[in-house]
Amino acid sequence: MSYVTVGIVDYGIGNHASVIHSLRDIGFRVRISAEIEVLDTADVLVLPGVGAFPSAMQALYERGLVSYLQQQARDRRPIIGICLGMQLLATASHELQYTAGLDIIPGEVIALPGAKWHIGWNTLESVRADPLLQAVDEQAFYFNHSFCYQGPAEYHVCITRHPRPFASVIRRNNIVGIQFHPEKSQAAGKTLLKNLITGLSHA
Amino acid sequence: MLKKRLMGVVTVKNGWAVQSFGYRRYLPLGKPECLVENLDRWGADEILVQVIDRSVDGLGPDFKLLERLGSIGLETPLVYAGGVRSVSDGIELIHLGADRLVVDALLHDDLSSVHRLSEQLGAQALIGSMPLSLKGNGVEWLDYRNKMLTPLTDEMLGLIQSCIISEMLITDWMHEGYPNKFEKKLVEKFPLRDAPIIVFGGISEPAQMSELFQLPCVAAVAMGNFLAYREHAIQKYKEGLQGMPIRASVYESRYPLTADD
Repeated sequence: MSYVTVGIVDYGIGNHASVIHSLRDIGFRVRISAEIEVLDTADVLVLPGVGAFPSAMQALYERGLVSYLQQQARDRRPIIGICLGMQLLATASHELQYTAGLDIIPGEVIALPGAKWHIGWNTLESVRADPLLQAVDEQAFYFNHSFCYQGPAEYHVCITRHPRPFASVIRRNNIVGIQFHPEKSQAAGKTLLKNLITGLSHA
Repeated sequence: MLKKRLMGVVTVKNGWAVQSFGYRRYLPLGKPECLVENLDRWGADEILVQVIDRSVDGLGPDFKLLERLGSIGLETPLVYAGGVRSVSDGIELIHLGADRLVVDALLHDDLSSVHRLSEQLGAQALIGSMPLSLKGNGVEWLDYRNKMLTPLTDEMLGLIQSCIISEMLITDWMHEGYPNKFEKKLVEKFPLRDAPIIVFGGISEPAQMSELFQLPCVAAVAMGNFLAYREHAIQKYKEGLQGMPIRASVYESRYPLTADD
């Protein structure tokens, strides 16, 4: 039996216990580190995150992870960004100040259109058929954010309405961004993580 | 569409989960971790852990409790209340696993710290707690530490209007713990009409919850004592709230029957 190993990129912000618990509960092997040697052993990288965009980018720079993640993306290594982690994949963010991001998925992070913030359980609508995200339509997931991704429609996989639509799942090749917290979305979140990671690791 | 939420509340005093009645009488329930795990298993939309003796005794947040809860690996968003004194307290709590924070004493003592917390963590992570009671044609705000009642200040209302905090937790402190006693007028007489509100205290019946969920400003209904009396209490309440804009009840088995499960 071959295990899929997930590497959680630890850049010192937020608590990763729920992500670790969800992934282990699904059956994945989990490693959490900021060390490139450790992350290199993973089949899929997960970039979590809470807090503000500028300080998160600064933390990634301080640990030498910006160029590493960009190179992994060029090498078509699967990467999943969660919440702020999704936003970090973008070209830049307008949160607090204009800050350059990882620029792995072209687009910018802007204040939510038409709402001050988005807190609670909301549903997804697929806008592009993606075999890794089947059966997510109308499932509710937990959101907690006030900024969102804005970029070319070709990268949009799912949208969510609050009340205006914004991209809640984006994808470019093997890189996927998820605006909500699957690790805090109970059974629906675990099913999504399982399908996504299994699919990406075999892509 | 964004769902309204049913929140499970665990009240902690002297390290133990308690049932609380009117902010003055308490009955022990057991270890907070056990109650939180139940709410997580039952599919609560959010879990609020409020440690009620931390600010009174000047102890600061209960970091050790949050560390234990954080290590459980909850699959439900966790909201923490109790003893938050500063920005560094707030950052540490988020680091230990809280998704959002409630500030109460800080609203009375130091609004500049509330501003700074909002800048650091984002307003979506901050909830303001207001234990209220009716007075005449309006409401009064309780400082639970010294039991003093005061009118709502313009400064306080301005904080909500300027989006420094994302939601208000309005507690009917007089009726907290007593079945079907929540005073709906506390919401109706709250001076700001468009502030998102979490209601708590004396909410026990699906019909009462339906009435509250129908108020546009009510984003969440929170329950404490009445979840402690039966297994799968969250699912049972949700099943009694069909037609309301909430997430459906969820039952999860940890034991798959097929290899693909």
